[in-house]
Amino acid sequence: MAQPSPLAQYVTPPSERLPADPQRLDAEAGRTDVDAQAVDQAGETSDPLLDTISLYLHIPFCHAKCHYCDFNSYAGMLGLRERYVDALLAEIALAGRRSRLPDGAPRRCRTIFFGGGTPSLLTSAQVRALLDAARTHFALDADAEITLEANPGTLEYGHLDELRAAGVNRLSMGAQSFDPALLKWMGRIHTPREIETAFAAARAAGFDSVNLDFIYALPGQSLDTWQRTLDHAAALAPEHLSLYSLIVEEGTPLYTWVSQGRVRPPDDDLAADMYELAEARMAAAGYRHYEVSNWARPGHECRHNLTYWRNLPYIGLGAGAHGWYTGHRYAEARPIREYIARVTATTDASTSLDEHTELPLPAGAVVDDEAIPRELEMAETAMVELRLVEGLRLRAFARRFHTDFQTVFGARLGEVWSAGLLEVEGDMLRLTDRGRLLGNEVFARLLPDTPALS
Amino acid sequence: MDQSHIRNFCIIAHIDHGKSTLADRLLEYTGTISKREMAEQILDQMDLEREKGITIKAQAVRMRYTARDGREYELNLIDTPGHVDFSYEVSRSLAACEGAILVVDATQGVEAQTLANLYLAVEADLAIIPVINKIDLASADPEKVATEIYHIGLPRDEIVLASAKEGIGTQDVLEAVVKYVPPPKGAGEMPLRALVFDSKYDAYKGVIAYVRIVDGAISRGDRIEMMQTDSRTEVLEVGYFSPTLVAAGTLSAGEVGYIATGFKNVKDCQVGDTVTLAATPAPEALLGYRPAKPMVFAGIFPVEGDDYPLLRDALDRLKLNDASLVYEPENSVALGFGFRCGFLGLLHMEIIQERLEREYNLDILMTAPSVEYRVLKTNGEELFIHNPAELPAVTQMAKIEEPIMDISIFTPARYIGTIMELVTARRGAFRDMEYLEEDRVHLTYRMPLGELIVDFYDQLKSRTQGYASLDYSFHAYEEADLVKLDLLVNGQSVDALSLITHRDKAQRQGRLLAERLKELIPRQLFEVPIQAAVGSHIIARETVRAMRKNVLAKCYGGDITRKRKLLEKQKEGKKRLKRVGSVEIPQEAFMAMLSLEEE
Repeated sequence: MAQPSPLAQYVTPPSERLPADPQRLDAEAGRTDVDAQAVDQAGETSDPLLDTISLYLHIPFCHAKCHYCDFNSYAGMLGLRERYVDALLAEIALAGRRSRLPDGAPRRCRTIFFGGGTPSLLTSAQVRALLDAARTHFALDADAEITLEANPGTLEYGHLDELRAAGVNRLSMGAQSFDPALLKWMGRIHTPREIETAFAAARAAGFDSVNLDFIYALPGQSLDTWQRTLDHAAALAPEHLSLYSLIVEEGTPLYTWVSQGRVRPPDDDLAADMYELAEARMAAAGYRHYEVSNWARPGHECRHNLTYWRNLPYIGLGAGAHGWYTGHRYAEARPIREYIARVTATTDASTSLDEHTELPLPAGAVVDDEAIPRELEMAETAMVELRLVEGLRLRAFARRFHTDFQTVFGARLGEVWSAGLLEVEGDMLRLTDRGRLLGNEVFARLLPDTPALS
Repeated sequence: MDQSHIRNFCIIAHIDHGKSTLADRLLEYTGTISKREMAEQILDQMDLEREKGITIKAQAVRMRYTARDGREYELNLIDTPGHVDFSYEVSRSLAACEGAILVVDATQGVEAQTLANLYLAVEADLAIIPVINKIDLASADPEKVATEIYHIGLPRDEIVLASAKEGIGTQDVLEAVVKYVPPPKGAGEMPLRALVFDSKYDAYKGVIAYVRIVDGAISRGDRIEMMQTDSRTEVLEVGYFSPTLVAAGTLSAGEVGYIATGFKNVKDCQVGDTVTLAATPAPEALLGYRPAKPMVFAGIFPVEGDDYPLLRDALDRLKLNDASLVYEPENSVALGFGFRCGFLGLLHMEIIQERLEREYNLDILMTAPSVEYRVLKTNGEELFIHNPAELPAVTQMAKIEEPIMDISIFTPARYIGTIMELVTARRGAFRDMEYLEEDRVHLTYRMPLGELIVDFYDQLKSRTQGYASLDYSFHAYEEADLVKLDLLVNGQSVDALSLITHRDKAQRQGRLLAERLKELIPRQLFEVPIQAAVGSHIIARETVRAMRKNVLAKCYGGDITRKRKLLEKQKEGKKRLKRVGSVEIPQEAFMAMLSLEEE
């Protein structure tokens, strides 16, 4: 019961191709467009970026755990920092070896992202050592984007200066709010003043690509306080802003409070109003909305996160890190000590083992490994690409999966089409403004009906 | 055993007055079952019975008791259901007895079902032994309760004081049974007549009939005939309950026990039928029972249409042990294929629902309960309507009648006002008020059953802090100005939400129902109007606004799997909703009318 949709024209791709939209954003700031076109003309079918990776390094240490946070992070474990970095270094080497190209050359790595936890708790020497290892074991692009997440409460000029010198070229700060009461309520260790100080220090240290994270839809937050935070953020003029709606995650103190009725997050209408306010304010301040929760000055879109959103391969290393590589989604052991023990065991053993007999995964402490069938990979690809404001590239999708989007998903999307959540323009399928706030309604319909076995 | 040494009796009581505990003590005292074997309240065998603290199925146990007179007696205790929904089954049990122990709680006194059960026992011409239970409790007032018992017409000097929990008075109760319950008066030499007072299905022995041998005797291997259904079979086994089945060669006049019939279908061996020998049939059957009359009706639908055959099988199997359950296929525009079921009352309905869910693991959806209306059409045709969706058009109806109940409420006098108010709001008519004591009254009303089944009992309990007790029985069909209230969701009438109500209440109910549905129906991708209508006249309107936000903010450091799992969970959640047209309606919506009143 496929409904006629604007997608129908793509069932048989038109023989003449539309020129690429010059405004179009891509994973490699223009370069892939060239690659992709070259591939198109050569009649090949795969995206060359599928042969490259992004590298995610998880740093699970924190000074304090925020009340809403359910990331894999631990307070009071800094004593393990050196052993942890050693394990991570060993794992980078292992991953580099296991991901070599057929000709034995190291695999191209386009971006590195230090996520946490609080990666700014690493010393600059440790960060430098990790980056050196990445350069040794991967073919790291000379202009690779190298991001480090930082807590504004832990940043000093000297440290930032050294990080910059070590090769970090993008800083992402968890500012969260400019409202002191809300910061305190969230369990953050920093103050609004410290955001400004840290931001100024980053600039002084030469960071010309800085992201600030903010959270909205917080209990007790009004449209007014949110607007003040947005204006304050825009006044600092960072290159990139991530604005996240609060998610009440199971297992967090916040979850307990909400389920006990002690706090109540704003309802969906207010949250939607806050989102729309952010869209308007960010546009007025000259930012481009390029993903559900992300805004950037043109050219400063986060290339690492675009790897996720284009469903391109990435290798995640570190406690609880996730990766997507050779058709597998995997996760590593979450507890820090267990992670270290597993990596040590693996790297010791693999010196004497034929690596090809092991998991096809580059990481050493894998505890979860799921082979993603093609049907699911198509759904996941569509799901993440549709998060991008520019949308899903229909032809690239057809090239990647040898079938077109309409054939696979057309019949399931009748309702969301008629509800006006999707639109097509040229080669791009995307969520409408309304659809962006209702993304899950579209995504859920993309998923295969029987949940994948796990 | 010689009939003069047999006593057949039952225990009747208001709920929670200690009937089952007393039964346990009797079994223990007579050594029928040891303390160690005594799984808590042995007579209540279904899980649900234990959980709800009530008896649903009748049970029978044989005890041997050596009385103070030195002689040994065979005492057959036949347990009876304690809830008003099952009063039909009570009267069945009573017909197998010559006496009844009437248990009254020493702290609560006479309650509505004490009286109702007493009337049933008196009607069945039984000897009554009043027992005041729980005398060990600090708040017990046996003197006052004895006066109440005296006022309902029982001799004060025959009252036995007991505490079943503490084992006080157990022997006195047994002695009273021997002394006051007359022995059975069957004729052993006459052709067999055995009354089937209950039955259950056993996978190996077929239908097991619980019987009281009135005349004659029955043995294993006898060819028997069911006098009403004409079915014949050979007796596989006869025996008694102790409390599990114990085979015996023969059951004779006056005794209570079981017959394993080998019948594969309960229809062949109906409760109330008379068993006789095929070779020497009795000339006349015993006075049986009227078949149980369902009072409350509701649709049961599988949440997943594919489960329809499973639901049908489950109902068939429940029916094997519960003759009072009736059902017929129903096809709802909104809910698809299901069954319209008739129940003895709301508790019975709840029990069936829970058994389908727990024992058969079915995901079911129930519509709000309805009663059976009698409709006289303009063409003279008479219809019984128990599904609002089937009510004929107004122009075709000459009149509608609804079932009216006699209701009886025992309450402390201070709640008279609030009860009056509640009953009046439910179209009840006052009949009588009688003071049992200075501060306790017995109120009687007449009220439509349709009003009674909607949350009345809960309201009564909550308005009287649990002190009032309720009993009711059918009085008559009476004409009323009734209309069908329809609910339209997104412009489409949802048949499963229709209800029949009094014209004066339609406006208010329509408004409340629309408001309630607005809360229950989750926001959809589009705006959903909800309208209540009588005929073509819209009497209320609400709107479920379109959904605005449902999107995950974040990518969790590349953890796509987790994102996917969250979406799968959302998707699973939606499966619990029933799609009507393009709108997803949660199951609770179909029961919404139950929680409309008096919020």
